[in-house]
Amino acid sequence: MPRTRSTKGATAAASKDKTTTTPDTPASTSLYTLPSAPPNPPKLFILPESATPKARIITLQNPRYSRPARYLVCPTTGFYEFTKITTPSPSSQPRSWLLTPSSSSSSLSASSTTIQSPDLFLATPYDPLFLILPALATPCKRMFLSPDDHLDALPNPDRHLSNILTCESTRKLVERRMAVICDTVEAGDEVMYRLNEAKLLSEIISKAKKMAKDLPKSMEDKFVKKALEAPVMSIKSSQAPLPALAPPSLPTDESSADLDTQSAAAASSSSSSSATTPSTEMSESQLAATSTAATSVASRDDLEIISSSLVPSPEVLSLQRLRVSFSFILSSYLPPSLSAALKTQLPSQIDFKELDAYLDTLQKLRQEAAASRANDFSGKRTRDEEEDERLEKKRKLAEEEKLKKANVSRGVKKLAKVNVTGMKKMSDFFKKK
Amino acid sequence: MLEARLGEAAEFKKVIDAIKDLVQDCNFDCNDSGVALQAMDNSHVALVAMLLKAESFEPFRCDRNIALGVNLTSLTKVLRAAQNDDILTLKAEDAPDVLNLVFESKANDRISEYDLKLMDIDQEHLGIPDTEYAATVTMSSAEFKRITTDLIAMSESVTIDVSKDGVKFSAQGDIGNGSINLRQHTDLEKSTNSVEIELSEPVALTFSLKYLVNFCKASALSTRVKICLSNEVPLLVEFGLSGTSYLRFYLAPKIGDEE
Repeated sequence: MPRTRSTKGATAAASKDKTTTTPDTPASTSLYTLPSAPPNPPKLFILPESATPKARIITLQNPRYSRPARYLVCPTTGFYEFTKITTPSPSSQPRSWLLTPSSSSSSLSASSTTIQSPDLFLATPYDPLFLILPALATPCKRMFLSPDDHLDALPNPDRHLSNILTCESTRKLVERRMAVICDTVEAGDEVMYRLNEAKLLSEIISKAKKMAKDLPKSMEDKFVKKALEAPVMSIKSSQAPLPALAPPSLPTDESSADLDTQSAAAASSSSSSSATTPSTEMSESQLAATSTAATSVASRDDLEIISSSLVPSPEVLSLQRLRVSFSFILSSYLPPSLSAALKTQLPSQIDFKELDAYLDTLQKLRQEAAASRANDFSGKRTRDEEEDERLEKKRKLAEEEKLKKANVSRGVKKLAKVNVTGMKKMSDFFKKK
Repeated sequence: MLEARLGEAAEFKKVIDAIKDLVQDCNFDCNDSGVALQAMDNSHVALVAMLLKAESFEPFRCDRNIALGVNLTSLTKVLRAAQNDDILTLKAEDAPDVLNLVFESKANDRISEYDLKLMDIDQEHLGIPDTEYAATVTMSSAEFKRITTDLIAMSESVTIDVSKDGVKFSAQGDIGNGSINLRQHTDLEKSTNSVEIELSEPVALTFSLKYLVNFCKASALSTRVKICLSNEVPLLVEFGLSGTSYLRFYLAPKIGDEE
C-alpha cells in the first residue's frame, strides 16, 4: 500500500474545534452530476495542532491485537494513534459531515464539502514504547540486544517502521522510550537494551496514576461509581422506582469529544477490552456492575436521595480509579501475555487492601440483596437436587407414618397408654414356635 | 386358593370389631382346617387367638397355607359395607395381593364386592400349650362386661379371687374401693345367667382392667364367657363362636404391683 499523504499543507490549522478540521481528500464533487462513488471515500480526521507537515500516517502492528493499524508519526512531536468515533445511537438515521471554511463570508458552495461517512478519526498522543513492547517482551530468554535487533523482531509488513526510523529524531525518541523500561549496558559505542518488568510496571503505574487523576466521565460512571455502588436494601415509598438505565457505554457525543484525549480512546475501547479479556479484574467488576444494574430498581438519581447502606471512602474511590486505569492500559495497549504477568505484580507495588475489603463487604451485601429479591419475587427454590431428593424421601416417610397412624383404632391407641408395669410379656409364658 | 363362605356376616364383623381394638395389623393364617389368627398387642402383654374352623364355613376351600396380612382398621371399614345378614365370601389367590370380599344380600340380588390390599406382616407366632387351669369361671358375658366397666371407675386393676365360696372381683383406687361377689348358681329360667366355677385350688390374681374392658368388646359374640386362671400363667378369657370355633384372649397378670 502506498504511503498515504492525507495531511497536506492545511494540517497546521487543525484544532479541537470541528468546524476548522481538515479534509484529507480534495473536493472533487460536481454540483449536477453524480460521479461514481470513489473506491476510497473521504474520511474526517482531527489532527493535533502540534503535528508538523512532515507527519505521516503509517501502518504498524498493533501491539495488543497483533493486527496492522494506522498511526500518525511526526518527527518532532512523536507518535499518535487514531481512535474511531462512531455515531451514537440511533445509528439508523443517516448522517454525514458538512465541512465549510471557518469564515462564513466566502461563498458556501465554493470550498465546502460533504463527507458521507459520519465517523470521526481522532489522533491522540501515543507512547511508542507500547509499539516496541512485543519485541522486548519475548517469551524466551531475554538478552541484551541493540535497538536495531529489537526492532527487527517486530513484524514489519509494509516496512513503514524501518522507513520512519531512518529519521533521526524519531529514532532517538524510540530509543529514549526504550531506555525507560529497559536495563542497558554499553558495549563499545553501542547501547544494548533488555526489558526490565519492574521498570515497565512502575512506568505503567505512573501512567495509570495520571489517568486516574482525571478519569473520563463515562469510565467513572461505569467502573467506579457503579462498581462501588451498594445495593439499596429498602426503597422508601415516597420514591417512585424508575426503570434502571445503564449509562451509555459509548459516549461519543460532543461533550466527550471535548474531554481529555484519553477519554475517547477509553470509551471506544472499553467495551472491546472487556470483551476480549474476560479474565481481567475490570471486566469482572463490570460484570458485577451490570448484574446489579439489571436488578436495581432505582435509577442513580434516586440513589442520591435514598441513603445507601455502604458509602465508599475517598481512598477506596481513588484506589478503584487507579485499578480501573491500570486494567485499562493493560488491556488496551499491552500484549496479553505481558499484561497478565504485570497484573499479578501490581499488588506488590500498591496496597489494595482497603479496596478489597470494601469490595468483599459489597459482594456480601449484593448477595443478600439478590437473595431477598429472589425471595420476594420468584419464590423459586435454589436448593440442589440432592437436597430435593432427601426432602422427597422424608416426605414419603412422613406420609407412610401418617397413613399408619390413621389406620390405628381408638382401642389400640388407648391401650398404648395403659400402665403395664408388673406384667410379663407373652413370650415369657408361651414359647416361640 | 382360598374361598370361604359364611352364611351370616354378623359373626365375622363382630370378631374383627373385637380384635381391632387390641391389635393393628395381623396375619390371617388360612389352611384346610380353617382360618386362624394370633396376634399380640403393641405392649406384648396380651394376646388374641382366633380360630374359625372349616365347618363354620359353607363351603370352605383352601388348598394350601395362605397368610393374609391385613390392617384390621381397613378391614373394619370394608366390613361396614356388609349387612349383618349378608352372605359373606372371602376369596384370595395362592400368593395374594388382595383379599376379595363379596357381600350378597339375601333379600334381593344385591352383590357388593371389595378388594382389600394386603401387606407383609412379620409376626412371631407363639405356641400356646393346653393348660389345666386351677380355676375356671363360666358366666354371662354381659355380666363380666358390667363388672369390668363398673370397677374401672375405681381403679385401673382388678383382683380376681376364686375360692370355694365363689368369685370375687375387687378394686382399690384413690377414691375408695369396691368389690363384686358372685356365687356359683344355676339359673334354671335363664341358663345364660348361670355362674359355674370349677376349682382345683384357690387363685387370686391381679389384672389390668383396661385390657379386660377391651376384651369385653367381644361380649356381643357370645352370651357366655369362660375365665380361666392359674398362678404363673396368663389369664384366659374365651368367647365361644358358632360350632367349636373360638375367640381367646390372654392377659399377663400383674405381679408385685399390689402396693
